[in-house]
Amino acid sequence: MEAVMNQQQKRMHPHKFTLWVAIASILMMFAGLTSAFIVKSNLTGWRNIVMPDFFWFSTATILASSLTMQMALRSFRQRAMDQYRWLIGLTFVLGVTFIVLQWFGFKSLWDQNIKFNGSAGAGQFLYVIFGLHALHVVGGVIALLVIFLKAFFGKIKLYSSVPVEVAATYWHFVDILWVCLLVFFLAIG
Amino acid sequence: MQTFFIVAILLLGFLITFQIAKASEYVAVLRGEEKAKKQTNRVNAFMLLCFLILGLIGVYYCNERLKGKILGEAASNHGVLIDRMLYITIGVTFFVFVITQVALFWFAYKYQQSDTRKAYYYPHNNKLEVIWTVIPAIALTVLVGFGIFYWFKITGTAPKGAMEVEVTGSQFKWEFRYPGNDKTFGKKYYKNITGDNPLGQVWDDPYGHDDIYVTGEPMHLVVNKPVRLIIGSKDVIHDVGLAEFRMKMDAVPGTPTTMWFTPTKTTADKIKETGKADFVYEISCDQMCGRGHTGMRGEIIVETQEEFDAWITKKSPKYIDALKAAAAQKADSTKPVTTVSVSGVK
Amino acid sequence: MSDTIHIQPGSVAHEAAHDEHHHGHHEQSFITKYVFSQDHKTIGKQFLVTGIIWAVVGGLFSVLFRLQLGFPGQSFPILETFFGHWAKGGQIQPEFYYALITMHGTVLVFFVLTAGLSGTFANLLIPLQVGARDMASPFLNMLSYWFFFMASIVMISSLFISTGPAAGGWTVYPPLSALHDASEGSKLGMDLWIVAMALFVVSSLLGGLNYISTILNMRTKGMSMTRLPLTIWALFFTAVLGVLSFPVLLSGLILLLFDRNLGTSFYLSDIVVNGQTLPNEGGSAILFQHLFWFLGHPEVYIILLPAMGMVSEILSVNSRKPIFGYMAMLGSLFAICILAFLVWAHHMFVTGLNPFLGSVFVLLTLLIAVPSAIKVFNWLTTLWRGNIRLLPSTLFAIGFVSLFISGGLTGIFLGNSTIDIHLHDTMFVVAHFHIVMGVASMFGMFAGVYHWFPKMFGRYLNTTLGYIHFWVTLVGAYLIFWPMHYEGLAGMPRRYLDKSVWRSFSQFGDLDKMITVVSIIVFAVQLLFIFNFFYSIFKGRKVTSTNPWGANTLEWTTPVNPGHGNWVGEIPEVHRWAYDYGKDGREFIPQTEPIGANESKH
Repeated sequence: MEAVMNQQQKRMHPHKFTLWVAIASILMMFAGLTSAFIVKSNLTGWRNIVMPDFFWFSTATILASSLTMQMALRSFRQRAMDQYRWLIGLTFVLGVTFIVLQWFGFKSLWDQNIKFNGSAGAGQFLYVIFGLHALHVVGGVIALLVIFLKAFFGKIKLYSSVPVEVAATYWHFVDILWVCLLVFFLAIG
Repeated sequence: MQTFFIVAILLLGFLITFQIAKASEYVAVLRGEEKAKKQTNRVNAFMLLCFLILGLIGVYYCNERLKGKILGEAASNHGVLIDRMLYITIGVTFFVFVITQVALFWFAYKYQQSDTRKAYYYPHNNKLEVIWTVIPAIALTVLVGFGIFYWFKITGTAPKGAMEVEVTGSQFKWEFRYPGNDKTFGKKYYKNITGDNPLGQVWDDPYGHDDIYVTGEPMHLVVNKPVRLIIGSKDVIHDVGLAEFRMKMDAVPGTPTTMWFTPTKTTADKIKETGKADFVYEISCDQMCGRGHTGMRGEIIVETQEEFDAWITKKSPKYIDALKAAAAQKADSTKPVTTVSVSGVK
Repeated sequence: MSDTIHIQPGSVAHEAAHDEHHHGHHEQSFITKYVFSQDHKTIGKQFLVTGIIWAVVGGLFSVLFRLQLGFPGQSFPILETFFGHWAKGGQIQPEFYYALITMHGTVLVFFVLTAGLSGTFANLLIPLQVGARDMASPFLNMLSYWFFFMASIVMISSLFISTGPAAGGWTVYPPLSALHDASEGSKLGMDLWIVAMALFVVSSLLGGLNYISTILNMRTKGMSMTRLPLTIWALFFTAVLGVLSFPVLLSGLILLLFDRNLGTSFYLSDIVVNGQTLPNEGGSAILFQHLFWFLGHPEVYIILLPAMGMVSEILSVNSRKPIFGYMAMLGSLFAICILAFLVWAHHMFVTGLNPFLGSVFVLLTLLIAVPSAIKVFNWLTTLWRGNIRLLPSTLFAIGFVSLFISGGLTGIFLGNSTIDIHLHDTMFVVAHFHIVMGVASMFGMFAGVYHWFPKMFGRYLNTTLGYIHFWVTLVGAYLIFWPMHYEGLAGMPRRYLDKSVWRSFSQFGDLDKMITVVSIIVFAVQLLFIFNFFYSIFKGRKVTSTNPWGANTLEWTTPVNPGHGNWVGEIPEVHRWAYDYGKDGREFIPQTEPIGANESKH
């Protein structure tokens, strides 16, 4: 038994591995949407958009949150629990801020009279793609909230860093994904 | 009452089958399980062999019964190529089919369990595996080669001087437009579609003034003259399926498609060939389009150039009709004036 | 969720030991044991039973529309009794007919042959055959089933709304599926279809993630990748296909949902429907087909690969001979998996696709025939000089190979764009994919059920009923689908409910009658199987030995009724591949047996 366990510990933790597969899967969804975007942007009747400034603020926010997340993970590993708690809290707050900023971004686009209906254009794709991205961030925020609450109220007996590492990886993923999507829209939209 | 009986009989059949099956299990236990197992093994092996033989006879019988019901010779130049490709493929695949099915069932029969036999430990043989990777690969290369060669011939650009017909599908009918004497279609825009202007032609475009609109009657084509169909749809995806010509192309709203072929047999030729007095080339909708999909039928008449000319000269362009209609409406001043180029009603 | 089961093997073994003597200390309530169970075996059974229920529903639908096809114009008053205005005057109305075929396709493809087949056997076999106590994340695994369950509820509810379920074909091509006015089925039914499918996608993603990480991360000691049974390899590639292609379908469906309800123009352009001119311009209806078939084609292999894997295993076990060419089998699975992603546009040869692109897809499509041929020849060689036990599972496996050959060969017709011009969307296509994907995979599933039933329930299925089931189904399948090819060769389009107005397609009336009668008989025999299944769960002959088939794989080293955690005590160590049958004069050598000093090499 000992041998079996040792061998399993040498491999990547199954949860982390599962996350990586999930990331591949999520990427495929966005790949589907962005390739649809590319195909369609070559058709007639396409309408372009001007990117609202809010999306720049949200980019700064999510980049900052990635940094705090990484710092939180480091403090957890060093068992600096107090520092870990407020860093994870800060990450959570930044995550929520990101979503709020996205909302304002959508609103300012909407006010520019870029709505759902009518002929095809980058705006329609933006709502769908950024919207789905925001949903994935919401998922991350919920995970952070759970970890945050556990850090405060739960008695952490197992000093396993796996859940925090999984959350951190996911968080960096949605961050990088956001930057890629933004660059994609700026380059092609 | 009848259904009740059918249900009752089914249930009874169920019950009997089940009881027999259960009893057979007990009998097997009584007679000695090993012996019973051996017997069923033999029976099933024999049945596999029977299935193979009867199956191959069935394949032959099925072909004899049905080969006369598929559509004879193709009636277009491309159809001939497609049929040739089809027969090449049937030849190759039927050969493989017979060999593999015979091997499968014969092995299952021949190597049925027996006390005297020991299974032969034979985990792999690289040579064999290479052989049956390479042979299918070669066979397929041949098929792909032929296929792509014909494919480019069929989908290539239509020859110069080909006649053009526009086909528009909508739930659940076909409409045709001929370009008229100038051999050029006028522009159209879907927001112009009204009852008087079913294709949404743009009347400002002079090319459209002599375009002839045909619906509710067959499309007319000239024998041995290449025809290029420009295919569109007003609502959902349809498909222009021409089984006799072996041609097919989707009608997609917003994205016109084209296909061309040369009809090689007039309708009269076909009537003689098939012996059916009511023979007619049919256009079937091959892409599911809603409740009337089954009945979305069009007809084509293939005829000589003279017959075609006689037919088309009798037609008056839609533009003229539209002008007349507009004039009539203007005369009736009590009604609100709607011009022919009115945009879509929302 | 975080305390994975393999961290505390002691407690699980303890639990398993209790399971052995019934009515010991009940640590699990009925709810956690049978309903919200995190035990992969229970989840597998849940998938199977739900899949069976769906199969009855989907099969019944096919019987109903076959009635219409076989006897158009004839009145069946009983239909009106059950379906009211959908079958006015006892005749199936067009809306009803299209709803039936749409639901038949959706249910069979996704709910039965994806969830019911790979959901069942991936859950049951992966931990048992790789030597793990459970999945990587039992919790996500449980969620996977319950998402499937929710998808089922939503899909079923769509059957009972007044405008009926989706009716645009299982491929739900827009604009038909996007325009509320284009068809009854494109009203609320279509939204429910999309929601159900979205839930289904989530379910299969959660499942797939688990399958992949379990196979890669939780193999027992000594179980190297090349010692895995082919079932596991097949399920692995299935999961990879699902995880990478289902999200693309989801994105396509999200866009469809927007087009349907929010007025966007992703797929819609230049449309006048029912006299109404729509404002949408610049959309592309073909875009949806690309997104759909990017899943849709891999989906075919998601359905087929598990069946292939199980057939390989069952043929080897029952021929008492190793599977021939293990590495070639594995390589061909891999090749199929890669190619599956590169051939989607062969469903779109006649959509106005660029001819050059078309020719590339012809090449890639026909390439799939090479790994498929390798598999067939390897199965044949596995049978060759074996000592074959013709159990129902073996027969179904042999039937699978036969059907796979027949249906695979007609694929060479359709993959060739030249022939596809004529055969596209005809009954030939229906015959082709039913044989190769529908019936063949069903045969694989039946083979799997007959083979692993003793492991699932500790009892045997009645074999006599099994033989009846096999023979009627095999003969029936060929009688139904073989002559159907001829209808397609005549160019008869699919999804026509009455050919009487057509001069070119009305010559097959007798044939259609025959097909209908046979399909009713085959359906009745499936009910017999289902009866056998449920009866045997409770009353079947009990399994007395742990390894009734004399098989090598690890699942047969567990107790007859394994508890949660599978093995009492340690997980066995693996010393060899799974196919040492008939080696050195021994009938079989389990994977757990160390390599002997004098053992010959293979």
